[in-house]
Amino acid sequence: MKRFANLLRKEIKELVTKQLIISLAFTVILFNFIGQVSKKEVQKAVGVQTISALDQDGSPASRALLTGLESARFKILDQSGKSKELAVETPRAGESKLLLVIPEGFGSSLESLEPKTMETYSFMRTFSLIGARGQVVVQSVISALNESLSNNFLAEKLPGIDPQSLKKPIKSKDFVVVQDRMAEGSANMVAGLISQQSLLIPVVLMMIVMYSSQMVISAVAMEKQNKTLETLLTVPIKRTSIITAKMLAAGLVGLISAGVYMFAFKGFMGGIGEEAARAGALAGGESLMRQLGLYFDTTGYVVLGLSLFLAILVALAMAMILGVLAEDFRSAQNMIMPLMFMVMVPYFLSLFADINAVALPVKLFILAIPFSHPFLVSQNLYLGNWTMIFGGLAYMFVVFVVLVVFAARVFSSDKILTMKLRFGKKKSAAA
Amino acid sequence: MTHVLTVRGLKKSYGQKTALFGIDFDVRAGEVFALIGPNGAGKTTTLRIIATLLTATEGEIRFLDRDHRKEPDFVREKISYLPDEAGAYKDMKGLDYLRFMANFYARTPDEEKEFVDRAVSIAARRESGEPSELADRLGTKVGTYSKGMTRKLLLARALMTRPTLAILDEPTSGLDVINALEVREIVRRYVKEGTSVLLSSHNMLEIEFLSDRVALIDEGRILDSGTPAELKAKHSAQNLEEVFRSSLR
Repeated sequence: MKRFANLLRKEIKELVTKQLIISLAFTVILFNFIGQVSKKEVQKAVGVQTISALDQDGSPASRALLTGLESARFKILDQSGKSKELAVETPRAGESKLLLVIPEGFGSSLESLEPKTMETYSFMRTFSLIGARGQVVVQSVISALNESLSNNFLAEKLPGIDPQSLKKPIKSKDFVVVQDRMAEGSANMVAGLISQQSLLIPVVLMMIVMYSSQMVISAVAMEKQNKTLETLLTVPIKRTSIITAKMLAAGLVGLISAGVYMFAFKGFMGGIGEEAARAGALAGGESLMRQLGLYFDTTGYVVLGLSLFLAILVALAMAMILGVLAEDFRSAQNMIMPLMFMVMVPYFLSLFADINAVALPVKLFILAIPFSHPFLVSQNLYLGNWTMIFGGLAYMFVVFVVLVVFAARVFSSDKILTMKLRFGKKKSAAA
Repeated sequence: MTHVLTVRGLKKSYGQKTALFGIDFDVRAGEVFALIGPNGAGKTTTLRIIATLLTATEGEIRFLDRDHRKEPDFVREKISYLPDEAGAYKDMKGLDYLRFMANFYARTPDEEKEFVDRAVSIAARRESGEPSELADRLGTKVGTYSKGMTRKLLLARALMTRPTLAILDEPTSGLDVINALEVREIVRRYVKEGTSVLLSSHNMLEIEFLSDRVALIDEGRILDSGTPAELKAKHSAQNLEEVFRSSLR
């Protein structure tokens, strides 16, 4: 145990370098900075916006439209009296991003039911989604006015009939059924919310797998490159202890690094997310998910955590073997690729296809990739598919044990010194 | 004289390629035994097998009268191995590296201190008793050391535990004259304290001064073995280089 602790200490010290600490601190600061900037931009977009309005009509109806916009938190810069060409020039140089042109005869056209065309000119100074929000809001104000005007007209012409019944003679009510639970809501919304909830799993998995595996592969490759491996293999310590110390150190540092990155990522997303939540975008979603039982209880979180943990162990064991194949630090950088593909395949498939519904050979191929299982866990938990869950956990555990036994065999045999995978070079026998 | 190591019929193949064709030799207690031969002769493969890094394809090795293949943990406790062109962890300070390595062998903190002190005395003091260039540098990172300094640090590491058998692969390879001389002095000094040494070199002249007995090896076969004086007399040669040339005929 003393020898193992000695080795583990050395492995951790090697991984926790000044460069790593600086890079983590820099990431946290950078993401927080970006988050704060984004937050300000979102606040600006959600808050009071300045638009220019050229009212060529000057009727009570056109004034009502502008008052409606003011009540929707718009500051109106009145361009009345200018020609359209001149009015277009004003916002081009000014602070407003949008020019609204209300044509002459707008008010009377509403009464005669011969609609006049209103024009909007959006000045795109950036191409961010937030930057284009002003025009979306103006459009929604116009639709609200359209709705209100048509309702008034229908109520006047056909008293006693609900205008909504005329405009939408067929009404629909959507229900979602998940197993034995049912709730009112759309399937689209549920799918969207589930994908939002599950978004973090692949991100966490990708980050930890990437960091930890890279560390293990580099740790073995660096021992080879610095010619320290041979000495280490002849000291009185079990080969399995060497493997375990390297994996444990990389796992710990990888977990902490991923945690720090997630914290930074949260700081970044918080900038936008908080405002979105405040705007009530998710309102109603949570209660719908609860009604359908689509949320994690403690058991759910434990199972998900266990699945992620096993996936990390599998990645570390694979990285250990790939590290043996690497000749030096440079080739170690390439060795991470097969692992990354193994994580990316189920990730992208889970984005575009229902893994449970694909053809059997494809399904078997996906299930054979150990990293597919953490992606499937949340779905299977929601659907109460415990056979798949336990099957996945057991499979990952078996793969981990097989890989560790294989890694231990490699470390205990000549292969640790003779196994090499060269890129672009011919293989040569050991000296 | 007691044998520390007995090697009989040692063969090693890497797939189709055979590196050793069945070699025999012994290392006696308290002697320096050298395997000499050109590059690719099979010296490093032999040393790696004895250091438990590679497994023999055939043959028998007995270390302190125990089966070397069956008891690798026992062997690792009693030997130390200095590979050819070995390095130390570059981000570690010299002293920290010695402590790290001592920790694997020491059973108590006192023993660890004893090992480290011995290593410091080997690495930092010359034969004359004057401090070596490494004396003031043990507190700095290994990555900043010259090749000679790194080699002396590693040699000190290999000898600090007073191993029963120190296996040194080309201990002076790539060193300048002064550093090579210091390394040879260190080896001779510590053999007197009871450590047996099995070393390899392609520098036959230096081996002549350093070794008690030598084995000439070429293309995986031992050509001849004995003390340098015996071999020179047998082959009517002035030095071991001439002995080697004569053995090849």
